[in-house]
Amino acid sequence: MNESLLFLIPLMPLFCAVINMLFGMRLPRLFAEVMAVIGVASAFVLTVLFWGYAEGEGTRAVLFTWLNSGTVDVSFALNFDRLAAPMTLMVTGVATLIHLYAVGYMHKEDDYARFFSLLNLFVFAMLAIVLADNMLVLFLGWEGVGLCSYGLIGFWYRKLENAKAGTKAFLVTRVGDVFLGIALLWLFAVTGTLSISEINAQATSISSGVVLAVSLLLLLGACGKSAQLPLMTWLADAMAGPTPVSALIHAATMVTAGVYLLCRLFPLVSLSPVAMMAITAIGALTAIYAATCAMAQREIKRVLAYSTMSQVGYMFMAVGAGTVAGAMFHLLTHAFFKALLFMTAGCIIHLAGDENDIFKMGGLRRRGPVELFWIFLAGAVCLAGLPLTGGFFSKDGILLALFTHPDPTYKIFWLIGVVTALLTAFYTFRLVYLVFAGEYRGTGHPHSLPLLMRWPLWPLALLGLLGGLFNLPAFVGGGETLHHWYDDLAGRAVTASHEVEWMLVGLAVAIAALGWFAAHRRYRIYQAPTENAVTRFLLNGWYADALVDRLFVRPFTAMARFCSSGCDRSLFDGTLSILAKMASGWGSLLTQMTTGRLTTYLSTFAWGFLILLGWFLLKLVDGGGH
Amino acid sequence: MMIPFGHALAFAAVLFVLGLTCVLLRRQILMILIGVEIMLNAASLVFVAASAYWQQVDGQIFSIMLMAITAAEVAVALAMVVYLWRRKRTLIADDFNGMRG
Amino acid sequence: MASLLFYILGFIMLAATLLCITRRNPVHAVIYLVVSFFALALMFYLLGAPLVAAFEVIVYAGAIMVLFLFIIMMLGLAPQETPEGPGWQRWLPLALLSASLMICTLLLILQDPAAGKPIGEFYLAPQVVGEALFGRYALAVEVVSFQLLFATIGAYMLGRPLPKGEDS
Repeated sequence: MNESLLFLIPLMPLFCAVINMLFGMRLPRLFAEVMAVIGVASAFVLTVLFWGYAEGEGTRAVLFTWLNSGTVDVSFALNFDRLAAPMTLMVTGVATLIHLYAVGYMHKEDDYARFFSLLNLFVFAMLAIVLADNMLVLFLGWEGVGLCSYGLIGFWYRKLENAKAGTKAFLVTRVGDVFLGIALLWLFAVTGTLSISEINAQATSISSGVVLAVSLLLLLGACGKSAQLPLMTWLADAMAGPTPVSALIHAATMVTAGVYLLCRLFPLVSLSPVAMMAITAIGALTAIYAATCAMAQREIKRVLAYSTMSQVGYMFMAVGAGTVAGAMFHLLTHAFFKALLFMTAGCIIHLAGDENDIFKMGGLRRRGPVELFWIFLAGAVCLAGLPLTGGFFSKDGILLALFTHPDPTYKIFWLIGVVTALLTAFYTFRLVYLVFAGEYRGTGHPHSLPLLMRWPLWPLALLGLLGGLFNLPAFVGGGETLHHWYDDLAGRAVTASHEVEWMLVGLAVAIAALGWFAAHRRYRIYQAPTENAVTRFLLNGWYADALVDRLFVRPFTAMARFCSSGCDRSLFDGTLSILAKMASGWGSLLTQMTTGRLTTYLSTFAWGFLILLGWFLLKLVDGGGH
Repeated sequence: MMIPFGHALAFAAVLFVLGLTCVLLRRQILMILIGVEIMLNAASLVFVAASAYWQQVDGQIFSIMLMAITAAEVAVALAMVVYLWRRKRTLIADDFNGMRG
Repeated sequence: MASLLFYILGFIMLAATLLCITRRNPVHAVIYLVVSFFALALMFYLLGAPLVAAFEVIVYAGAIMVLFLFIIMMLGLAPQETPEGPGWQRWLPLALLSASLMICTLLLILQDPAAGKPIGEFYLAPQVVGEALFGRYALAVEVVSFQLLFATIGAYMLGRPLPKGEDS
């Protein structure tokens, strides 16, 4: 196989997106659906086929020269290396399953062509990020996923809330993108290249101050995309989109793009201890913030959204602690079980008759297909980090990396991680109990579940539960497959004595059990939700929206109002309108002279004649002298 | 002809003022046109007198030209008078103010 | 003798013109104007311009004035013009000013030594005028003839029946 065929991986989804965009509504529905699935499935198959190319130094494929000006030479190039390959496999694999699920989920939607073309376009943009060889291609994908995310969050744009949520997501992530753009240009100014591998190679020659600044800018860019503090407000509202979108974009793939970016530029970022500390701190704060918020949420998808933020926070902590392998490991397992949870949540909402509120569910274990409960439970135990699940191993690896970090400050972050794990277990089982236990409390009529919504859950459930096998730690007899695969890209090797490792595992088990126990005590028998200041505070996400509104939106609006009414309307428009009034006043004065009556004109004529005559006379008197 | 040139000019001037008075004071379009004719004739008188004074042919030539042009002007003007009459059944100049700004 | 005749004709002309511009009946006004033109034609003759005098009678008094009469009779214009009421006051400043200026002008013209020189004996045969017209001034004659043609076309355009709806 030719290496330039690598381009087929991102171009297949793009091709199908374009076909659906142009002809989707004119072709039979089945065709559009098959196109959409084939676009991503073929990308998945190609990734498997090309797997060998990723080994060693990876394979670089150039499609064409994009920009060429003086010393700038940017190609549209892909780099299929050891870091990109697992991510590509995950993105295409999960996307394939979610596309199949989406065919079932959207089977009553009329606007299917727009949906599937946006979804395919998203996969293309995401693959562009993952496979990008240079920062410009990465930025293209980065903006592309933002655009598709915007279009899909506001997919049901006829409801104003949805459109607003889409706009909000777009604008907030754009803030991060600005920082990423600055970082990109700064890197270019310093290194003279946009190629990621060359930037990483030159990283050690860049002065430490610049490395710190660029790393912080990259962190802010990643924060925007990955919904980390302080740019996290959009993710919870993004749940207005269709559930497959939440599963694909806002759980499995796009929100992890920030983590992937930091991993990509890890050789650069890791040079600055301060930046690493900042990454860890942001991750830790987001993790605990989102976990507390998730405890009080009432809508099933918002619970999952906050848990996504929290889990991505773990990934940031892993990057900050220096273990790329740990971050990527958690990224992969999280993608599996979180996509699973979202898709199951979609089924649950179907069964509850489009009801989102978990306090109006309950008893769904007996209402729906029996396997649904077990599948959801599989995702939940992964999220809660129960022993032997994928989520357990990946989270434990991160906590171990934090605990064993040479800098003692990281012990604080480790503690935050542990507390977050406890909260995670609690809100996960709260969700399980409220949804499945007890009697049905809602009034909705269950919709039927298409087969396509049910069977894509199985592979994800298996992947989530067995995800630990990808990178099984050595002390339980595993081979640390992922770590060895990344090899020199894996970051700091986490070494600890077996005692410490077993101690941490014991702690993790205890914490997960404690969280389960607490949720069991509180929610096994249904109680109406308590309403007090604390729950309201958590329900509204610590009033982050209000804070943003106070700090940025209102001053900005005030400034805009000043510019618009103060400057523009009063000063400029006022001046102009005074001028215009003067002109129009003169005009109307002249208009009065234009009576349209012959006599007026004739008398004016006569006056003119008279003046001429008088002038001639004066000249005559002056000149003649008599 | 032993009359002074100035006297011929004076006659022409008075004739011109009479024509102008007619144009300014009369309100009927037809009378305004007549006033214009009078003024043109005053100009014609100046041309002819000057021709005799300087013993040149050009003055008379121009008075003939003036007549031809007057004929053209009158043709159009009277056609307009008929047109206006058909539109408004009046020839009072002030009744037409369609060009008011 | 000829000089005396000139003055008599001049005053006849001014009197006829004055009567013309003050008539309320347009037919009377045109008749007085014809009288004025006859007197003017004789003055032209005295000034040595027999051809212009003939044209004055034929073209002005004959053709143009008859045209006026045709129009007046065709439209059946009664002496409908109301007497000037407040209009007089409106014109008064203009009239006074122009009258005084006019008198000054006349005085200045009559005082001027050049204007006091008499017009010498002068007679221009029609043949000489014709040669000049179709010799030196041939182009001007052509231009004027075009002007007459355009005027004819314009008069014809204006004289067409009105489109429906434009009639008041």
